[in-house]
Amino acid sequence: MRNVTLAVNGKTVRCSAGTSLLDVCTAQGIDIPTLCHHPQLKPFGACRLCIVEDAKSGRIFASCVTPVAQDMEIQTHSERVVRHRRNIIRLIMAEHPESCLVCSKGNHCDLRKIAAQLGVGQTGLYPMHNYQGIEQANPFIIRDLTKCILCGKCIRADHELVAAGAIDYNHRGFDARPSTLFEQPLEKSECTFCGTCVSLCPTGALTMKNVRYVGAPQKEHESVCGFCAAGCAVSLGVTDGQVVEVTPSPRTDTVNGVTLCVRGHFAHDFLKSEHRLTSPMVKKDGEWTEISWTEALEILSQKLLSVKKEHGPRTIGFMGSSKCTNEENYLFQKIARSLLETNNIDNGGHLFGLPLAAQLDKRLGGRFRARPLKGLEQAEAIFVIGANPGNSVPVAGYHIKRAAQNGTPLIVADPLPTDLNRFAGLRLAVAPGRDLDMVNAISALLLEKKAYDASYTAENTTGFSFFRTGLSSISFERASKTTGLKLDRLEQAAEMIAGKKIAFVIGQGVLQQPKGQETLDAVVNLALITGSLENGASGIYILHRENNQLGALDMGCAPDGLPGRSSLSDEKARKTWASAWGSKMSPDPGLSLVQMIREADKGNLKALYIMGENPARSLPDPGFVKAALEKVDFLAVQDILMTETAQLADMILPGAVFAEKAGSFTNMEGRVQSFDPALPLPGAARPDWEILAMLAQKLGMDARYSEVRDIQKEIARLIPSYGEQYLASPVSWVKDAIQEDQPMAFTTPVCWDGEKPPAGFDFTAITGSVRLHLGSGTRTAQSSRIIAWDGRASIEMSPTDAASLGIEEGDAVRVVSQTGSMIGTAKLVFGFPEGLLRTPAGVAGHSLAGLLDISRTPGAVYSGCKSFPVNVEKSNET
Amino acid sequence: MKKTDIDWPKITKIVQDYNSDPECLLMIMQDISDIYNYVPPEVIPVLVEKLGVSESLIYSVATFYKTISLEPRGKYIINVCTGTACHVRGAEKITHALAEELGIEEGQTTADGMFTLDAVRCVGACASGPVAMVNHDTHGALNRSSALEMLDQYRK
Repeated sequence: MRNVTLAVNGKTVRCSAGTSLLDVCTAQGIDIPTLCHHPQLKPFGACRLCIVEDAKSGRIFASCVTPVAQDMEIQTHSERVVRHRRNIIRLIMAEHPESCLVCSKGNHCDLRKIAAQLGVGQTGLYPMHNYQGIEQANPFIIRDLTKCILCGKCIRADHELVAAGAIDYNHRGFDARPSTLFEQPLEKSECTFCGTCVSLCPTGALTMKNVRYVGAPQKEHESVCGFCAAGCAVSLGVTDGQVVEVTPSPRTDTVNGVTLCVRGHFAHDFLKSEHRLTSPMVKKDGEWTEISWTEALEILSQKLLSVKKEHGPRTIGFMGSSKCTNEENYLFQKIARSLLETNNIDNGGHLFGLPLAAQLDKRLGGRFRARPLKGLEQAEAIFVIGANPGNSVPVAGYHIKRAAQNGTPLIVADPLPTDLNRFAGLRLAVAPGRDLDMVNAISALLLEKKAYDASYTAENTTGFSFFRTGLSSISFERASKTTGLKLDRLEQAAEMIAGKKIAFVIGQGVLQQPKGQETLDAVVNLALITGSLENGASGIYILHRENNQLGALDMGCAPDGLPGRSSLSDEKARKTWASAWGSKMSPDPGLSLVQMIREADKGNLKALYIMGENPARSLPDPGFVKAALEKVDFLAVQDILMTETAQLADMILPGAVFAEKAGSFTNMEGRVQSFDPALPLPGAARPDWEILAMLAQKLGMDARYSEVRDIQKEIARLIPSYGEQYLASPVSWVKDAIQEDQPMAFTTPVCWDGEKPPAGFDFTAITGSVRLHLGSGTRTAQSSRIIAWDGRASIEMSPTDAASLGIEEGDAVRVVSQTGSMIGTAKLVFGFPEGLLRTPAGVAGHSLAGLLDISRTPGAVYSGCKSFPVNVEKSNET
Repeated sequence: MKKTDIDWPKITKIVQDYNSDPECLLMIMQDISDIYNYVPPEVIPVLVEKLGVSESLIYSVATFYKTISLEPRGKYIINVCTGTACHVRGAEKITHALAEELGIEEGQTTADGMFTLDAVRCVGACASGPVAMVNHDTHGALNRSSALEMLDQYRK
């Protein structure tokens, strides 16, 4: 690009043409006040405070929206400029209420700060306030638009960053304000309560609820959000040892930028829950008795060793956690494998498709492990299959919506409407569980039209000809019938992605269906023929559910997986690890999470150590799971809350939440982020890694871990995909482990005839994540803000179905499956397909787990629980 | 006022005539307004669906432009010009006369749904002020009595 030379405050500066004057001045270290400008938003020029003067022409420019020009002589703080700035601030303040003393924005107010810097106190102008009512019915955001200065940051954040479209300016001139449709309160709009507008608002017009009069936090701690797999960088505002606000980290190289979601922004008040565990306890005659850590570790180690001795290592189970840190999961499975010689190790990610992700890694031969979400915005096309990121991983949803807004073709395949529909160029309302036929048909169409990347498949893959032959026999009529999609829709999809590098976004809709593995394989096949895997801008994005699901896999917290995603069945890997740990290692494939419960039910599991998981809530059929857990001779639960599972335990060990300990999480992108403690530990609770280190010592492990760093050093030394980089930097990326002798192979396309639904059920229920809760909602249900918002579970259905059943919006309805029932509130959704229901996961007190049957997942891998046959009826219960 | 029955095929046709282009939102709303004299709120979700715009944008555009209303307006919309030229020639008196005769205030619609009284800044016919427009007809050189006569033309 052409370069331009100009003078800024007398200093000659060279920069590329097109740069804004503000950016040039900022780069020179000159502080120019702004109220409407934000580096992550497009320049807007609303507040005019950033004015500068060109001494040559005498003209005054708003520097944020003025590009540099050759030979300008810019003065940023001339007497004239400063006088104008003062006047602008005076005019803004004349319209702004004088409520600073009682405004909760306090020291965070940019208007107040700039007024003070410019020396503006009394405006000397006639006050002209635009009084608006305070809106604070929702538990998240208080809107006091009297204080609005029309900088438009909230509106632009809503449009440009999170693409919600809830607010825009209304009216014009003096009357204008950010407004929803018909000026309804936020909760009646498209607002997702992500809180991005609150983070950006320069005045007290938008503030967080429930933090009034706390003032600015005493300290800000950099950390990582503990909810979903996006792994947003957050800043925890701490006052008196409590988190009083959570805001996006000021760092710019993060996955989330200045956005967060309603959980990250508002649900961290669960940290203050009164149900936190604060002391080790054992159950004596049905009563909880507090004991010391010494006693607890003595009992725990004795029990584990005696069970091992009496019944053998295979009767001991270890459930690690997709919420705990990498270091903790590593140590947890090391204790299990090296000291107790059992491979019965799993984590909660098992319920959310982690085994399939592990399988995908194997199929790709350890390639493409780092998938930065920003790649979505550079992809040539995006194909979302069975995912509702707006609810499950909102920050991934923002990336997709932004990409679509900027013109990237977007295909959304989902049986149910999602908030991506508005952005989709093509919607494929595929029949539940039939994505496999859809993906295969699209691949076949691309092959038929020769619209595939022949050179890529020839150079990088094997088995293409088999795959091609397999697909050539596919019947499009059959695919159209099973998927419920007209052939021209499938052709349209093929046309939209032909010749493009595609980013596939795969959600639980694929991972949890009966043919999840086959469907994912079919997606990989499609990715291979289109050559979509090769660069960071496309590929396959698995929407993991929990914050450290991928990390738990990397750390070997899976029955058949050793650390570094190597396989237990790989003798070489097993030997390497055995010698690294100086211990024996059983080659027996361990039990998965579901299998452990099943073995417990049969009385074959004698001891179970659960760290940070809540199977009594998260697994299907809680009655069965609870009974099975009761049958375990010794159940130790290490957790932060008195969960449904902890209540059944023989021993409770109080762990720590992420904000109270050090460690690292690996997000869905493969980004490893370390953090330090921001809060004191409650009572006698200890960081989980510390508990494990004490236990390891007690059980006779040679290695000693006196700080997290010791575990990290071992991980860096032994797991090459983490390596030195992970030690050296607080943010690193999981490295590929490419085995050159394993090129990527096509799998033979498979057909599936579907399951025959049992007679007597007229509806298919599809479980869906809700935005307010994560996973089974153990933690989010402890957030006072979330509880204040969340009433009964909403059962979404078609207005036509509702009319035929005499159900109206807001009625109590009962959903009955083969195994149980749940009560919810009917929500009639315009355009919702008939015969389907959406049943929400995780809503407090209305678990849908009772509807599901654990026997639906007979194999080692939990699947097939995404959709199931039900009936729905009006209920008289309230 | 009774709820408007919406001719959905007509709405669809309007949107199609503009190729479902979100850039044409204002023109689409004007065309809808030409049928009903306002934009019925029922069409908002349909525009959201067909144009891929957010509902808040529709509200923003509708409240920004005086030509769009989201509330039912009369069969005849009287826009009294209050631009400088008309103002000095007594536009205010015209507004008062009409308001008194119709029993409504500026911005309101008569109970029978016949007339809406509004003020606009300038209609560009300064030479013949005071001016009022009734839908697309311009009436110039008005005084109190000719303004009331003007109403009679539409009352037939």
